[in-house]
Amino acid sequence: MSAKPLWLRAVYRLERAVGEPVEAAVRTETYFDLMTTATRTTKAVKRKVTGASTRALHLANLPAGTDLQRMREQLARMERRLNQLSEHVEELD
Amino acid sequence: MPPTLNPLDLVSKINRDVERSLLRARNGVRYVRGSHAPTLGATPKEVVWRRGKAELWRYRNGTVKYGPPVLIVHSLVSRSYILDLRPGNSLVEYLTAAGLDVYMLDWGVPDELDAGNDLERYVDFYLPRAVAAVRRESASDEVTLMGYCLGGVLTALYAAGHEQAPVRNLILMATPVDFDQMGAMVAFLREGRLKAAELVDDTGNVPADVLYRGFYMQAPTTEIAQKATLLDNLWNDEFVESFQAMAQWSRDHVPFPGAIFRQLVDELVRNNVLMTGSIRLGDRKVNLADARGNVLNAMAERDGVVPPAAVEPVMDLIGDPARREELRLPGGHVTFGTGRSAVKHTMPRLAGWIIEHSDELPEAKEW
Repeated sequence: MSAKPLWLRAVYRLERAVGEPVEAAVRTETYFDLMTTATRTTKAVKRKVTGASTRALHLANLPAGTDLQRMREQLARMERRLNQLSEHVEELD
Repeated sequence: MPPTLNPLDLVSKINRDVERSLLRARNGVRYVRGSHAPTLGATPKEVVWRRGKAELWRYRNGTVKYGPPVLIVHSLVSRSYILDLRPGNSLVEYLTAAGLDVYMLDWGVPDELDAGNDLERYVDFYLPRAVAAVRRESASDEVTLMGYCLGGVLTALYAAGHEQAPVRNLILMATPVDFDQMGAMVAFLREGRLKAAELVDDTGNVPADVLYRGFYMQAPTTEIAQKATLLDNLWNDEFVESFQAMAQWSRDHVPFPGAIFRQLVDELVRNNVLMTGSIRLGDRKVNLADARGNVLNAMAERDGVVPPAAVEPVMDLIGDPARREELRLPGGHVTFGTGRSAVKHTMPRLAGWIIEHSDELPEAKEW
């Protein structure tokens, strides 16, 4: 097998030089805590934005994404129930 | 004395470099355009049973020489084609070629309908029915169960939780039991950090991109080295196809059903309940030591997703102590399905163990 070219070996070295400290950093407690806070903040902001846009759409008598989501949930619940019933029927057979 | 330059060698080197440059250009355009994607999961198969999103595939082989049939149960977080990635680099293909009757239980892509799927649904509903379908199809009394990653946890619980489970062999591939050793993969989910409900979206499931980010952040810069390796080997069609196949699989995650995710976080991650040797499923206690069959605990020595330390306690916990064996393999988490090390070490050793613990059929069957 031919040896790896010089430029490729340089990329590997550079990647490890950067990668090792980055990998160490993303395994620290500080990083996990930071990401926990970031995930919670993003979710809270999204909730606020969704709430505001839902209110605005409802004022204009228009359905919002949350209404569609609720409908999908209801449909999924119905389909699940139907599946359960057909499973019961199959078991009886 | 300075090295002499043979004109013939020089011409042949120039020819090779020109040829490779042309191939690099052609494959580079194909890669960027996204055309010529490799065919994945190419071993011929038939769906022999389905329920909800779950499908049971039976692979066409030619000649089945050994029994009982092998049922592979895939994990819930990734796509099952990793175990049948490309011809010549596929665990499924290897096992079928070795004369085994191979099935795969694929969980499909969960949506709102599957948000309520909990451990009990997989262990007490899907698995017994899939095993029954395998026995029916193959006309066999028993099965060899192979669980990969979280699929291993499901198969172990099934083999332990069902007194009549017809399991001749139970092969656990990269199956975590000590979740305290799972490191960064589950660190976000520990007590005081994110609750399971905080990662579940409107569909009731954990979105696929959350799982992808979790895996990606394990080694966020390695993609640079991988892309550089690709550039160097861009002239090589075989290399480019393998690279594309692997890259597609590593991005191709599926949503994780919310109900089982909550159990995973509360019971397996936070309480590390499997290490107690038992777990509550529905209204009963399942003792892992009750798992039926010969147990093979297969682990990859350089597995960064499920480290060996998380897998090793299988040897103290699952099945009959006299029927437990351990198999340590070189390579990482995907060595169970694909890669050079898989072809050289994993596949022959797994196939060898299965055949050793199977019966030669009196008459080879065509399938």
